Amino acid sequence: MPRRISIGLATILVVCFLWLMATTVLGLIPSGRFPSPAETWSALVHVSGRGYGGGDLALHVYNSLRLVVMGFLFAIATGVPLGLLMGWSRRAEAFINPIFLIIRPIPPLAWIPLAILWLGLGDAAKIMVIWFSAFVPSVINTFAGVRNIDRPVLEAAYMLGMPKFRFVTEVLIPGASPMIFTGLRLSLQASWTTLVAAELVGAFYGIGRVLNVAQQDLYPGMILVGMVTVAILGWGTTRVLGLAEARALRWNTAALAAKG
Amino acid sequence: MGVIQFKDVGKIFGPRDKGFVALKDIDLEIRDKEFMAIVGPSGCGKTTCLRMVAGFEDATDGVVSVDGTPIKRPGPDRAVVFQQFALFPWKSVYDNIDLGLRNLNVSSSERSKRIEAILNLMNLTQYAKHFPHQLSGGMQQRVAIARAYVLDPDVLLMDEPFGALDAQTRVVMQEELVRLARKNPRTVLFITHAVEEAVYLADRVAIMTRAPGQIKEVLDVASVRNAENWDSHEKIEDVMDLESFVHLRTHIWRSLREEKAAQHA
Repeated sequence: MPRRISIGLATILVVCFLWLMATTVLGLIPSGRFPSPAETWSALVHVSGRGYGGGDLALHVYNSLRLVVMGFLFAIATGVPLGLLMGWSRRAEAFINPIFLIIRPIPPLAWIPLAILWLGLGDAAKIMVIWFSAFVPSVINTFAGVRNIDRPVLEAAYMLGMPKFRFVTEVLIPGASPMIFTGLRLSLQASWTTLVAAELVGAFYGIGRVLNVAQQDLYPGMILVGMVTVAILGWGTTRVLGLAEARALRWNTAALAAKG
Repeated sequence: MGVIQFKDVGKIFGPRDKGFVALKDIDLEIRDKEFMAIVGPSGCGKTTCLRMVAGFEDATDGVVSVDGTPIKRPGPDRAVVFQQFALFPWKSVYDNIDLGLRNLNVSSSERSKRIEAILNLMNLTQYAKHFPHQLSGGMQQRVAIARAYVLDPDVLLMDEPFGALDAQTRVVMQEELVRLARKNPRTVLFITHAVEEAVYLADRVAIMTRAPGQIKEVLDVASVRNAENWDSHEKIEDVMDLESFVHLRTHIWRSLREEKAAQHA
């Protein structure tokens, strides 16, 4: 086992041990404030088996994951092309940028009330809010990525007489891809943040729903289960994106390494 | 064919009345299959001349044309080798060279034939699958030259192509370019500030004045080269030792020094 991983595992074990000491053994933290390991475990069993807040854990996870993936994909499918367009065409930038300047300072979460008013408590409203929050980072980073492509590289492409479509797929997109992936990572984070917030405000299923009900029930074990579940889901989806990035940017990671 | 013509060409960066006058009254013809080097003090606009032929810049006054057709935009008939190589870092050596041929809709069997030939000629065969960053600067510039040559362009534009290379690599590349250019003559416009390089490589050398750049003088190197049989010497240092070479070099140095002195006066 690599040294880094063993040290990381040791750290987690120590934290768990301190947690056990502080709650169960020494009773420094009352169980109404923060759950003990045993309480957390029983909450996990509770939500996995009988279910809690309208469904079992699998159902909540499925719903949250589904909405995040849909909102995220929707956001990048619109955001990346728009960023490419703005990066490529000064005129498109001039048209679109003012809209961005107005919309950007609005925190994505502030759209939740309007989304619920328009689309109700179902999936559509949440996808819309996730789309709003994840859209902005993908547009901005894609735009910056295009503008960061070395000028001589673009000139080399012009010199080689690239047809438009090929220019986009073989020069603009790969050239901007290091920053596009930065944008995607930020978009993914924003998607999770927004989803949980949107579910807290109102939802029938989902991790946010579990957190919300557990808060009303004064059920700290269940709150912790919800938090850890979101953390694991966020980590997992980021990891999938990271693998895609490593694959797509093999040339770039190696290039950065070569530069030292 | 590949005749490059500058006719009363001027270039002003910025507004016409108060912009920076980079070039003034450039009149120059580069003949078909001629290797023309332009030397000049830095900032004299020599690179701008090349960029106008490439189609990256418009002339403010006059006309730049190739075979009588005024230049509107960049294109594969005028292949460029850039100082900073400008390879596509996300494409392998092979794919970098292939891209221009694909754009010209060359058949795939013809493409692989031509790419293999140029890889072989440039000693790049074993690096075909490498990415640019895995190669040294000299190797990368070899790929860039191969990418330009494989298009079989009428005109080859080289903008200080060896400026970013170390001295030893530079000499090797110069010798190879001579070999390539003699074997496979093209119309070449070669920009450099290295006087030896210009005399060694070119058929004619145009000397520019300081900004606003004008053509001060055009020297015929080819007739001296042929009369003194420079090409019988394989190594660059042997050519550089010849009296006729030294004579031309000194002439250009003097001419450039005058410009430098006038700049500071």
